[in-house]
Amino acid sequence: MGRMAIVEGVRTPFIKSWTLFNDIPAQRLGAWCIQELIQKTEIDPTLVDEVILGCVGEPVEAANVSRVASLYGGIPEEKPAYTINRNCASGFEAVTSAYEKIKLGRDSVVLAGGTESMSNAPFIFSKETGNLLLQLQKAKSLGARLNVISKFRFKHFAPIPALKLALTDPVCGLGMGQTAEVLAKEFGISREDQDAFALRSHQKAIEAKERLKEEIMPVFVPPKYKEMIQEDNGPREKQSMQALAKLKPAFDRKSGTVTAGNSSQITDGACVLLVMDEDKAKSMGYEILGTVREYAYTGLDPSRMGLGPVFAIEKVLRLASLKLQDMEIVEINEAFAVQVLACLEAISSAVFAKKYLPGSGPLGKINTDILNVNGGGIALGHPVGTSGARLILTCLKEMKRRSLHRGLVSLCVGGGQGGAIILER
Amino acid sequence: MPNVWKLRIEQNFGILEFDTPEKEVNVLDSKAMEELRGILKDVSQKKEIRALLVASAKQKIFIAGADIKEIDGIREKKDAFDKAENGKAILQMIEDLKIPTIAVINGACLGGGFELALACDWRVASFSDKVKIGLPEVNLGILPGFGGTQRLPRLLGLVKALPLILAGKIVSSESALKNGMVDRLFSEVTLLGNAVHFAEEVLKGSVKRRKQKAPWFLEKTPVGRALVFHMARKDILKKTKGQYPAPLKTLEVIQKTFGKDSTKGYRFESEVFADLALTAISKNLIKLFYMHERYKKVAWTQFEGKVQRVKKCGVVGAGVMGGGIAQLVSYKNIPVRIKDIQPQALGGALKEAQKIYDQARKRRKLKKHECEYKMGLISVGLSDDGLKRADMIIEAVVEDMGIKEKVFEHLSRITEAPTVLASNTSALSVTRMAEVSRYPERVVGLHFFNPVSRMPLVEIIKTDKTSDETIERTIRFARDLGKIAIVVKDVRGFLVNRLLLPYMNEAAFLMEEGVSQEAIDKAAVQFGMPMGPIELVDHVGIDVGYKVAHILHEAYGERMKPAKVLETAKDKGLLGKKSGKGFYLYKGRKKTPNQDLQKTIGKKLSMSSDEIQKQLIYIMVNEAARCLEERVVEEPSSIDVGMIMGTGFAPFRAGLLHYADDEGIGKVVEGLKKMSESKRAGRLRPCDYLVKMADSGKTFYS
Repeated sequence: MGRMAIVEGVRTPFIKSWTLFNDIPAQRLGAWCIQELIQKTEIDPTLVDEVILGCVGEPVEAANVSRVASLYGGIPEEKPAYTINRNCASGFEAVTSAYEKIKLGRDSVVLAGGTESMSNAPFIFSKETGNLLLQLQKAKSLGARLNVISKFRFKHFAPIPALKLALTDPVCGLGMGQTAEVLAKEFGISREDQDAFALRSHQKAIEAKERLKEEIMPVFVPPKYKEMIQEDNGPREKQSMQALAKLKPAFDRKSGTVTAGNSSQITDGACVLLVMDEDKAKSMGYEILGTVREYAYTGLDPSRMGLGPVFAIEKVLRLASLKLQDMEIVEINEAFAVQVLACLEAISSAVFAKKYLPGSGPLGKINTDILNVNGGGIALGHPVGTSGARLILTCLKEMKRRSLHRGLVSLCVGGGQGGAIILER
Repeated sequence: MPNVWKLRIEQNFGILEFDTPEKEVNVLDSKAMEELRGILKDVSQKKEIRALLVASAKQKIFIAGADIKEIDGIREKKDAFDKAENGKAILQMIEDLKIPTIAVINGACLGGGFELALACDWRVASFSDKVKIGLPEVNLGILPGFGGTQRLPRLLGLVKALPLILAGKIVSSESALKNGMVDRLFSEVTLLGNAVHFAEEVLKGSVKRRKQKAPWFLEKTPVGRALVFHMARKDILKKTKGQYPAPLKTLEVIQKTFGKDSTKGYRFESEVFADLALTAISKNLIKLFYMHERYKKVAWTQFEGKVQRVKKCGVVGAGVMGGGIAQLVSYKNIPVRIKDIQPQALGGALKEAQKIYDQARKRRKLKKHECEYKMGLISVGLSDDGLKRADMIIEAVVEDMGIKEKVFEHLSRITEAPTVLASNTSALSVTRMAEVSRYPERVVGLHFFNPVSRMPLVEIIKTDKTSDETIERTIRFARDLGKIAIVVKDVRGFLVNRLLLPYMNEAAFLMEEGVSQEAIDKAAVQFGMPMGPIELVDHVGIDVGYKVAHILHEAYGERMKPAKVLETAKDKGLLGKKSGKGFYLYKGRKKTPNQDLQKTIGKKLSMSSDEIQKQLIYIMVNEAARCLEERVVEEPSSIDVGMIMGTGFAPFRAGLLHYADDEGIGKVVEGLKKMSESKRAGRLRPCDYLVKMADSGKTFYS
C-alpha cells in the first residue's frame, strides 16, 4: 500500500456568519465544493469510494450532512458517505480517517473535508418547554389542554442559541473564550501582544488575497446570483491597533484581554479535498499536491484546550522521527491570538517541557516568519468543522508555490484535544 | 383469433382479464366489446359468482382506451352514434350486474378504459407510477362516448369532474385516490390478491363509500351550478380561443344532463359524440396524435448499436438560451456545467434557471426539495473545468460565426470520443463549425426553441459529415429531455425558421401595403396561430429577427429580402418586447400599436381576414415545397410536426401541409400566382415543385 496523496482541493470563500451565506445550509456549502472538485479534477464520480465530511453543528434537517452534500454534489447514490465530529479538528479527522481507510486498502479514492454553516445554528427551547409541549400534544380534552397551557410561563418561550451551547465546554464549564483567558493569565500574555498578532493575521490575509484564489472556488449565491464571490470577507484592509484597542473584552468584562478582534471569526464555509492512494493517483496521471507523512491526536485539560497543538506536535514529530526544525512551513489554527502565542511559548519552554513533556524536552522555537503566512482564523474565519481541511489545503498550496518539502499543520480542539499532521511533497 | 377476455373463477370470485393478443396495449375495439357482451351475459347467469373483478393481464396497461383507428375510420354519423350506444349498452351490463364489480387498475386506464372502470361499483389501483387515469377524449376532438360525461360527474361532483373531462387531464394513482376516482390503492405486486380481499369486505358490507366533500352551493343549487358552468366555459374559451368544439360541446352535454334522467343523458352524449367524431378537427387531431406517437420513437438512421444516456452535459455560452437549456437538462437529473467568459453571464444563466424552477414550484409541478436538488446540479465556471468529461456539449454563444468557429475548434481539442459537440445556432452553418473541429463526425446542430422548458420541438441538424451514431445519440438525448426531435439538413434557417421567416416577412409586406398590424395579427390568430406574426417579431426580438432575416436573404436571395419596415424598425433601435418597444408598445400586460412606425407607411388598405391568411400561409406552403424538393426533410409529416411543435401552428389543422392538402394544392398555386401578379412580387410565385404537384393532381401526403 502506497502513501495517501492529496490530489487537489477547493473551498468556498470563507464568509462571516449572518452575511452572504446566511441562507445557505452546510449541506449546500459542502455540495458546492464536492461538485467543483469533480469539475476541477475531472474525476469520474463513480470512482469515488466514499465521502467523509467533518461538521460540528450538523444541520437538524440534514442528519449525516456528508451524505446529503454527497448526493447534492453529484456523487452516485451507491457511494457511501459519513459525517465525522472531532469538534474543531473535524475537517482534520475527515482527512486522517481517509488516510486510515486508504492505508488499509478499503478505499482508494475519497473526498474528505469539512462543512459548517454557523449562521444556521438553530435556536432551541429548554427541555422543560419541550416537556410541556409534549404534554399539550398528548392532552385529549379541552380541560386537559387548558391545564397544560396554564403551566406555560414567559421564560419557556425564551430561545437558547445552540451556537452558544456548542462553544461552551460541558466538563470544565468554560466557554472557549474563557479557556483563552485562562492561557492569557497562565502565560501572562498582554492585550497588546494579542492585538498585534491579530493585526498581522489581517495584514497577511489581505496580502495573500490573490494567492488564496488558487484554493477558493467562485460562488454565486442563490436565489439572486447577483455577483461572483471568490474572496473571503473576513480580512479587514483597514484593521489597526487603534481599532483593535477599542474593543471590549468579550469573555471577561473586567479583567479580560480576549476580544472579538483577537479571536477567530464566526464563519460559514466548506472545504473538500480529493485524496487517493498515491500510486493510483499517479497511474491516473494526476499531479498531486502532497502526501501525509504522519498525524497525531492528543488530549489535555479541557480548560487549557488552546495548548492542544503543543502536545499534538510533540507526538507527531516523535511518530515521524522528525524535529521541529525540519518543518519548512507551519500552520497553527488561530482560534485565539493568545492561544497561538501561548503555544509558541510553551513549545520552546524548558519549564513547560519539564512539567508536561517529560519524555522530550523543549521542541524548539517556531519561526514566526513561516507561521500562518497567509493569515489565519482571526482574519479568514474559523468555520469549526471545516478549518482542519482548509489548513491542509492552504499549507499544501503554499508549499507548492514555495517548492517546499515539508510542512506542519496543527490545531487546538474544543474539549481539550490537539491534532497535528506532517505534510510532504 | 384467440379471445381477448379470459374469465376464471377462483373461490367464487369471477376474475375477468383483458389481454389483446400480440399487442403491447389493451384496446377496446369492436371485437373486444362484442366479446365482453357475451362474457357479461355469462357472468350474470353464473349464480356461483359472488363478485366480479375486471383486470388486465398486461404489465403496464389496464385499458388504453377505445380503438382510435376505428374512431378515425368513422364516416357516417349513424355509425358513430351506434358505436357509442353499443358501447354504452355493454358497459351498462356491468353496472346492472347484481354482484359487486371492481376494476383492478394496474397501469394506463384511459378514455374508454376508464369509462369501463366507472361502470364498475368500485375501483382499486396500484401505487405504481405506471397508473395513469383520465378521460383524454377532448384532446382528440371528441368526447367520452361510453358514458364518461355522465358517470364521472355523478361520482365526483361537478367541481372535480369538469376540469378532468374538459381538459382531458390524466392523473396519477395518488391523485386519483385523493379526488375519489379510485377507492383504494394497493402494492403493485399484491394488487389482485388485495383486490379479492377488498371484494370480500365489500360483500361483508364493511366497506363504506367515501363521502365526497362537495361544496354544497356550487354542486346543489341552480345558481351555484350555473356559476360553475359559466366559469368552465370562460376557461375553455380562453384556452382554445373557440377553435376547438369538443370541450365546449362536452360542457354543453354535461350542463344539459347533469342531475337529470340518465337514459336521456346517455343518448344525448352519443348524439354529440357522433357530431364530433365526424368533424375535420377531430380527424386532424387524430392525425396529430399519430404523428406525435410516431415521432416519439421513429428511427432516423440505419445505426443499429445502442446509444447511452447522457451522463454529464456541458453548455458553453450562458445567455438566456444557455440558462434555459441547463435548466432543462438539470430538470432531468443530468449534471450540467455552464462555461462562459463573463462572470455576469454565468450569474444570469443561474438566475434564468432559478426563475423557471420557481415557476414550476408555484404551479406545484415540483416540490421545494426537488427544485433545490435539481437546481444544484447546475454548476458554472469561467474555465474549461468540467467540460472534458461531458459526453454532450451544447454551444449557445452569440450568433457570430467567427466566435463559433473558435469555440468548436477549442472544444474539439479538449474533449475526446464519445463527446458530441452540438450547436444551438438558429441559422448559421453547422457544417462550417464541423469543418474547424478535430472530429467533424461528432458535430451536430441541436436547435432548441425559446422558451426551452416549454417548446416541445428540437431540430437536429445533420451535416454531410455527421455520423449516424452522433445523430442517434443526439436524438436519444433530446428524447430523454422530453422533446420531439426532427432531423434536418444543414440549410440556412434549417426547417422551422426557414418557413417562419417568410411568414413574418410577409406580414411586414402586408403592413407596407397599408394593412393595419392588428388586422394582420388578428387574422393569423383566427387561423389558429398562437400569436400574430407582427407580435411574434416583437417576441423574437427585432434585432434577432433582422439578423436571421439577413442570413436567409443572403442564402436564398431575392425571395427572402426583408421588408423595409423591418429595417426601419431596426434602424429606429426598436428591439421588441424585451425593451418594451417594437411594433407594439408594451406596458405591463397591455400592448398598443407603435404609431411611430405606422406613420412611416402612410397608407391604409383594408383587406379581408381570408386574404391576409392566404398571403401569410401560402408563402409558407411554397417554401415548404422547396424544402421537400431539396430534401431538407424527407417527409411532409416532419414539416407538420416541426411547425406544430416548434411554432404552435394550428394543431387542429394537423400542420401546414395537411392544411395545404385540405385546401387543395391547385387552389394554393392559383392563389400564389394571383398574388404574385397583382402585387408584382416574385417571392409569391409558386415554385416548380408545387406547380408540378398541382398539375399532376398530387397532394403532399399522397
